[in-house]
Amino acid sequence: MQSALWNARMYLRLLSVQIRSQMVYRFSFWMDLFSTAGNAVAFFAVALVIQRFGGIGGWSLGEIAFLYGMIEASFGVMDMIFSGFDPDDFAPNIRQGSFDQMLLRPVGITWQVLGSKFLLRRFGRIIEGLAVFAYALTLIDVHWSAAKILYLPVVFISQIIVMGALFIAGSTITFWTVQRIEAVNILTYGGTDLMTYPMQIYPAWMQRFFTFIIPFIFLNFYPALYFLDKPDPLGFPVFAPFLAPLVAAVFFWVALLFWRFGINHYQSAGS
Amino acid sequence: MTEIVQVRELSKSFQITKRRPGFVGSLTNLVAPQRQTVHAVERINFTLNEGDLVGYLGPNGAGKSTTIKMLTGLLVPTSGEILVDGFIPWKDRSRYVARIGAVFGQRTTLWWDLPVIESFELLQPMYRVPAGPFRRSLDEFVAMLDMESFLNTPVRALSLGQRMRADLCAALLHEPRLVFLDEPTIGLDVVAKERIRQFIQHINRERGVTILLTTHDLQDVERLCERVMILDHGRVLYDGTLSLLNERFESDWFLVVTFGETYEKVDLPGLLSPQREDHRAIYRFDHRKFASAELIQQLLPRFRINDIEVRRPALEETIRHIYEERLLLPAD
Repeated sequence: MQSALWNARMYLRLLSVQIRSQMVYRFSFWMDLFSTAGNAVAFFAVALVIQRFGGIGGWSLGEIAFLYGMIEASFGVMDMIFSGFDPDDFAPNIRQGSFDQMLLRPVGITWQVLGSKFLLRRFGRIIEGLAVFAYALTLIDVHWSAAKILYLPVVFISQIIVMGALFIAGSTITFWTVQRIEAVNILTYGGTDLMTYPMQIYPAWMQRFFTFIIPFIFLNFYPALYFLDKPDPLGFPVFAPFLAPLVAAVFFWVALLFWRFGINHYQSAGS
Repeated sequence: MTEIVQVRELSKSFQITKRRPGFVGSLTNLVAPQRQTVHAVERINFTLNEGDLVGYLGPNGAGKSTTIKMLTGLLVPTSGEILVDGFIPWKDRSRYVARIGAVFGQRTTLWWDLPVIESFELLQPMYRVPAGPFRRSLDEFVAMLDMESFLNTPVRALSLGQRMRADLCAALLHEPRLVFLDEPTIGLDVVAKERIRQFIQHINRERGVTILLTTHDLQDVERLCERVMILDHGRVLYDGTLSLLNERFESDWFLVVTFGETYEKVDLPGLLSPQREDHRAIYRFDHRKFASAELIQQLLPRFRINDIEVRRPALEETIRHIYEERLLLPAD
């Protein structure tokens, strides 16, 4: 039985390999970084529109920037840590047999996939998110309490874990389909975009879908209501803002179970 | 001799979806996919003894890769058993793979952007090899495979021959007792092939490493293996020594004689008339019925002869002969 600690150490070694190889392509790294960080400009274009109408669904520009910055930054971190599980990158691994090569090494397979890619250029998106978040804090006056300060990182990590779980599930599907499945990308990328705006602007069926099927509503919207002391427009129980870590735990657990199941049914490709 | 690999009644079948042609066909496929079972490997049995170097042969699609993938734990068999050194390969994967080595000629195990030496150094903690023995093996392999000149080159910049040498080295640094080599000479030139053959022979003879070698290059086999297994349509057709295989199935040999002058009739009793061109005659004979020495003794007193050469068919020819004439059938 390989200890988790030893596996984690090997993961860090693999990570350092990843980072060193990206340093080889320094120019392309900086280009990517700037172009993704430049996405912040896109938000400020939206900001102009919001400013003109004085807000969306009772949310001011600053409050929307809070939603937007938070989810963008956590998505950026997720996209960096879980690069190896990005279905777009994982599917070719299956086709070209690099997954087989990982199975031939005596290190836990999940650690190896995580260590197989670590895209530093995702920093661009993280910087963008943090910039918008900082901008939000200049616009609105959040009444910080000790509880809120402690809960903020919990929400942030929960968001990372839920979207990472979706990446893992999306990659697991490629064991059977070989090609990545567009529907999964719609959930991860579309879901992130969706969470940048207050949920009450969406039609009722979408709200229900993102409450009971994929409970994204508890990841960003409800925690934001709590941080910003806004009244709940949808009439959920009072504990709704605190469900984020629970959602994350369940998502991650199910994703890992599915991933294990996938590996046990894996049929290596071609000859 | 200790048995290191035991394979019993091993089978693997795949479900594949058959596609119907045309537009209506592809619609029907969506609604009611047509499934078909392919038996990639069917009830094969064999054992490998410690120190064996066995050639595992067969045409494309015979089931070679499927067998290797089951032996390395990448695939779970449909039925049957594999026991390697006390391990069931697909269970307890990470402990098992630490004890074996594998080279898939078509793919690399190394890190694309890293210099070769750094890839090797990453393998040391990964396989928990103590520094001393690791250094010794590394120095030995670097010298044997002549890798000094490209140790600091990133893997992506290596030639195919260099990459294959690096991969072989990587598969052996943790001193596995058993190594699977799948097409280790594919796409290489004659010199590179020879270097790799010498290395394989060395680790087998000097280090006693057990090797299962699949290859399309039968010169690899003739040069390296005493024992061969021949596979076709997922069944083992032959498992035995190479010399016995040749003895049983080799097609006719040729005796090429160059005469010192022109002769009208050069026939030998019991043989077909030779094929002739100028001063040369090529006799075809069954080596099981005639010894070449005996034929030469008949020729020498009758003719003035400049040169005599005995030509044996290549192993390739023998194996093609077996497949085409269906000389061997599975045991049952």
